[in-house]
Amino acid sequence: MGAKLNSEWEPQLLGFLCKWCSYGGADLAGTSRKKYPPNIRIIKVPCSGRVDPLFVFKALQMGFDGVLVSGCHPGDCHYQTGNFRARRRIAITKKFLEYMGMEPERIQASWISASEAGKFVEVVTEVTEGLKAIGPNQLFDEQRP
Amino acid sequence: MSIEYRVSSFEEYRGGRREASKLKTQNSKLVRKKDIGSVLHQWSKDYTIFVPCNEGDTAFTVHGSRLTVYGLWDGSDINLDWYRNTVTPPKANFLPPLEEMFRFQKGKEGHSMELPFEPGVWSLESGVPLPQLIFGIRPCDARALSLLDLIFTDAYQDPYYLPRREGAVLVGLVCLNPYDSCFCTSLGIGPGESDDVDLLLTDIGDEFLIEEISDKGKRLMELTAGLKDATEDDTARANEAKEKAYGRVTRKINTEGIKDRLLSAFEDEHYWEKVAAKCIACGICTFLCPTCYCFDISDEMVKKQGARFRCWDSCAFALYTKMPMENPREEKWQRVRQKVCHKFEFYPMTFDVIACTGCGRCIRLCPVNWDITQTLRLLD
Amino acid sequence: MNSDHKMQQKLRHEAKALLEQDKVDLIIGFEAGSLKFTTTPLITKSKDDLDRLVINPFIVNNLALFLPDFKGRIAVASKGCDSRSIVSLIQDNKVSRDDLVIIGIPCPGMIELRKVEKLTGKDRDELDDIIREGDKVVITVDGKGSEFPIAEVLSDNCLACEFPTPQDYDILLGEPTATSQESRVKSRESRVKGQGSRVQSHGEGGGLQSEASPDSRLQTLKAMSPQQRWEFWRKEFSRCIRCYACRNICPSCFCKRCFVEESEPRWLMPMPRWQENLMFQAIRNIHLAGRCTDCGGCERSCPVNIPLRCLTKEMYDLVDELFHFKAGMDKDAPPLMTHYEQEEAEDLIR
Repeated sequence: MGAKLNSEWEPQLLGFLCKWCSYGGADLAGTSRKKYPPNIRIIKVPCSGRVDPLFVFKALQMGFDGVLVSGCHPGDCHYQTGNFRARRRIAITKKFLEYMGMEPERIQASWISASEAGKFVEVVTEVTEGLKAIGPNQLFDEQRP
Repeated sequence: MSIEYRVSSFEEYRGGRREASKLKTQNSKLVRKKDIGSVLHQWSKDYTIFVPCNEGDTAFTVHGSRLTVYGLWDGSDINLDWYRNTVTPPKANFLPPLEEMFRFQKGKEGHSMELPFEPGVWSLESGVPLPQLIFGIRPCDARALSLLDLIFTDAYQDPYYLPRREGAVLVGLVCLNPYDSCFCTSLGIGPGESDDVDLLLTDIGDEFLIEEISDKGKRLMELTAGLKDATEDDTARANEAKEKAYGRVTRKINTEGIKDRLLSAFEDEHYWEKVAAKCIACGICTFLCPTCYCFDISDEMVKKQGARFRCWDSCAFALYTKMPMENPREEKWQRVRQKVCHKFEFYPMTFDVIACTGCGRCIRLCPVNWDITQTLRLLD
Repeated sequence: MNSDHKMQQKLRHEAKALLEQDKVDLIIGFEAGSLKFTTTPLITKSKDDLDRLVINPFIVNNLALFLPDFKGRIAVASKGCDSRSIVSLIQDNKVSRDDLVIIGIPCPGMIELRKVEKLTGKDRDELDDIIREGDKVVITVDGKGSEFPIAEVLSDNCLACEFPTPQDYDILLGEPTATSQESRVKSRESRVKGQGSRVQSHGEGGGLQSEASPDSRLQTLKAMSPQQRWEFWRKEFSRCIRCYACRNICPSCFCKRCFVEESEPRWLMPMPRWQENLMFQAIRNIHLAGRCTDCGGCERSCPVNIPLRCLTKEMYDLVDELFHFKAGMDKDAPPLMTHYEQEEAEDLIR
């Protein structure tokens, strides 16, 4: 991680995308040849409700600069209520880690349906820009500058 | 296959040690309390000095209670009038809570390995290369280190613990104000016990009486300038203080035949379940016990580089001795039994000495006041 | 004013009756500890032990902790926070209300020994006596007594306590704890509308708040920049030895297997490094959202004085603010995290 500070630094974003909606949205963005920042790595999850706050924290601890959790719009969940539960969890995680001193920009959530390729591009672009603005994740480095 | 033990008993071990290092005639000196700083200063040329100090007493610790630990001496004058004993035992200076054993990497030619430092050299972040001098160690904790020596010099010679231990100097401080949880006198250690330290200090008002106990201590004293010789009167005052302190230790256990009593109670599930009922199975009593030494080894690998670490482990934890197929100590009462029997039955069976020094930390710091002396009393 | 002694007599009497009439198999309460000014849980099936039951200002442990460990019908002595933890365990299906007889203690607050030590400059065992007399406490050192307002020595969580009288009980040992500052509580009342009728006993709460806010530490932390806060926690957690006392003393941490003990995948290394320690506490607190009843057990048990309540209280306030939820108020309500409202917390999501 020594190269973190040089000018070529690019943020690393980890996306937990729900298999039924957001992953489809990302897929559509790809097949439609839409351009979005290559900074995101995607993990397909069965539902945004599957995302334990532990996953989010672990990703940040392992050095990702930001985490995006994305699922179906409220009411559209394949399992009826998964994204509602995810919403509570995300709210708590984001607010609590912010209280502990983490930059709120690092934990992001969105609702993206399988048809919203445009929104996916928009969200990833915005989040990546936001991460660029706050700089690399040095939260867990032994000595912070 | 028979294992050949190097040491068969604590007495043999200590006897040998005493023979080798203990002085025939004791020599005593005096130092004014306010001159302790300058004495430490002289010692700091050859040693890394640890002194009792308070940590974490900020506006955020509502309690504001003293969290006493052995910290690196910062060069200032010290006053130990407030000092009773540390929360973290001195074993942490020899068997740190977390220790990197070695590093490894996978290259084209296979695996390679390197030691992160010379084993046994103190490797706190600052990487201080000098041997340690622990100032103000209590007699119970010094005894605990002698007990730890047994296990680390036994069939297995620990390359991390031993060099640290061999280089170290222990400057003991007689415990004039023992806690109500202390029961050292039941285990053959008094607040003024000198067997396990190199120098022993006794607070006699404005001065410390310094007794030379071992060769190592004597050499250290020879290098120290600015000390007065103690008079017989001073020694008498120190002895009186020690005796008074001895009487202040009121908690007692009965160690008579304890090994056999525990042996016969070993299968008594009912007894252990009752005893363990309120234990919350946290690691306080074992982590902060000066004689507990269990550790857990784990490897951490990121990409192609990694390191092997060892850190404290506790028999109170459910994962302790858990193996892929089974756990011989699945239930909490079995783990509580392990803790008690290890100290009062297994250690005596192997080394003929109880692995408890009565420092009372496990009673004092237990969140539910689980008291080992009460547990043992039930067996009387 | 409740007298501890009167409650203690009644507790012994009730406990004996319960065992004699074969209404319960096990009694969980407190007995005098082996050290001065300490108590220890008494878990017994025997009538003969019941004369050892005590009620005094030092019965700090949250006895809800032991309920999932035992089978059968249990009578448990319970303060305000204990009872909420019990209700929370019932919500999580860890214990059944039918198996419990809750003996409620209207709680006047617990004395924090470490505050007494700070106040007097003496260690616990050097104190002669600590006697609570109404809203005063008399501390005797070396034969000399000095009087202090009780608020100076009560635990922070007791000072901030909203419901000192148990929320759910079968037997109440005294009159509900009187409120001296109801108005203070009322100002909060408007915030808990979501729980509606469930908080009808609100008026009883909050009698213990002192003028100096017990949550001033949280205010100080919130006034810091994120970097300063992170640095603060980094420093605090570098002291942690990972004894897990905070987790094991907590009735809400009831998982048979904690995530820190998982080895496939290995979420957390067992080493006490601040990175791991901090992650452990962060995740523990997130798991406790809607379960923590602010009993203060974690901070009280920490051997290295990490100000853990600065985390748990923030989570406690956070679930109240975001979801108008208070832990352990209604045994029939679903747990916070298994439930949702159609419209909430949308502003945090893109």
